[in-house]
Amino acid sequence: MTFDWSVLWTYRARLLDGLGVTVMLAVVTMTLAIPFGLLLAFLRLSGARVIRAPATVFVEVFRSTPLLLQVYWAFYVLPALLGVGFSAITTALIGLVCNVASFNSETFRAGIMSIRPGQTNAALALGMGRAQVMRHIVLPQAVRRVLPALATTWVSLFKDTSLVSTIAVGDLSYAALQIRSETYRVMEVLTGMAVLYWLLGYPQAKLVDWLHRKLKTAE
Amino acid sequence: MDFAPILLYWRFIAHALAMTLLITVLSIGFGGMVGVVVAIGRTYGGRLLDAVLGFYVDSMRAIPLLVILIWTYFAFPLMLGWNLSPVAAAVLGLSAHLGAYAAETVRAGLTSIRPGQMRAALALGMTRASAVRTIILPQAIIRMLPPIGSLLVFAVKDSGIASAIAVPELIRQSQVLSGITYHAFEVYTLAMGIYFLLCYPIARGVDAVYRRVAYLGAS
Repeated sequence: MTFDWSVLWTYRARLLDGLGVTVMLAVVTMTLAIPFGLLLAFLRLSGARVIRAPATVFVEVFRSTPLLLQVYWAFYVLPALLGVGFSAITTALIGLVCNVASFNSETFRAGIMSIRPGQTNAALALGMGRAQVMRHIVLPQAVRRVLPALATTWVSLFKDTSLVSTIAVGDLSYAALQIRSETYRVMEVLTGMAVLYWLLGYPQAKLVDWLHRKLKTAE
Repeated sequence: MDFAPILLYWRFIAHALAMTLLITVLSIGFGGMVGVVVAIGRTYGGRLLDAVLGFYVDSMRAIPLLVILIWTYFAFPLMLGWNLSPVAAAVLGLSAHLGAYAAETVRAGLTSIRPGQMRAALALGMTRASAVRTIILPQAIIRMLPPIGSLLVFAVKDSGIASAIAVPELIRQSQVLSGITYHAFEVYTLAMGIYFLLCYPIARGVDAVYRRVAYLGAS
């Protein structure tokens, strides 16, 4: 069996374009999923059941179903439900943001709850308002504890963006699969795709391990 | 919303669900074995083995599962020279992927047991192997329960990605069914419901078991 690896070089422009879309999807998703996840976390920590319950259902549904199915659902069902069509990339972002925001909300909730209640009580006793306590006392400490978990979610997200290729969003895996069907260089293109993802993902995985070691909390 | 036309195909859906369960259970079985062996190798096998196995684990954490499955199904057989069925490729890819994550979980559990326990066991004349088996592992397994719970949920959800290599599991057959019946809304909503009913009880169930036995892992 002879392999012709030059196909990867010939199609480098399209692979790089795909790579750009992959990075863009991951960055935009995380940028939106952090505030959305924080909002969900606050809603779930609320004292009122009517506020807590819908947020809980949202988070648990998105955490307990496959992202791929969520993307299909957004692609086939949402337009019929709302009566408006979205582009494939918008659909992909809707699915990714809802999914990642749900995971982020659990991370934030755990981070906020990990700050001992004595700190909140002390701040309240000093005359601070609830919002002030959250902003000046709880959140600054929680951020440090939450960072490693957020980084883990980021690595998962970076890999999960490949799933939106199934609804024809032109990310790296979509570009590679297209090139494969045009050139029939199956082995070369698929291996090239795996290596590209590896080159990007491996340092990220290592960085996450380092963050976990660096920001380890002992109380 | 009309589920009646879909329910005519209940047998079709039941078969799809059975396939999802089959590849999930097989990948949990094989992935679990890989995880335990790799974790023990990394923890007690010396620096070289740790480096080699660490490379495997980090690579699996770096490459998207979709890419792993597509590569295993389309490219790997070209290297071997014989064909893999979609189900075999899916189980192979899912196990290799899950095994890496399981290995990290088991390793974290093993290293969380204080080294004094191993030294005490050795001082009492036990061999390393029997110390791991009878002293370290039983405690570590209890401590590993919460992350094992999330790994099981991920195993169920990730099996859906096998739809990309035409394994007739729940997501793939939902696409087929939505093509036959034109009831995309009902089909995908039903699939979401089935996954939720599979995953949510697993997550909550493992949590409940852990709460009852957590004291056994404390030392």
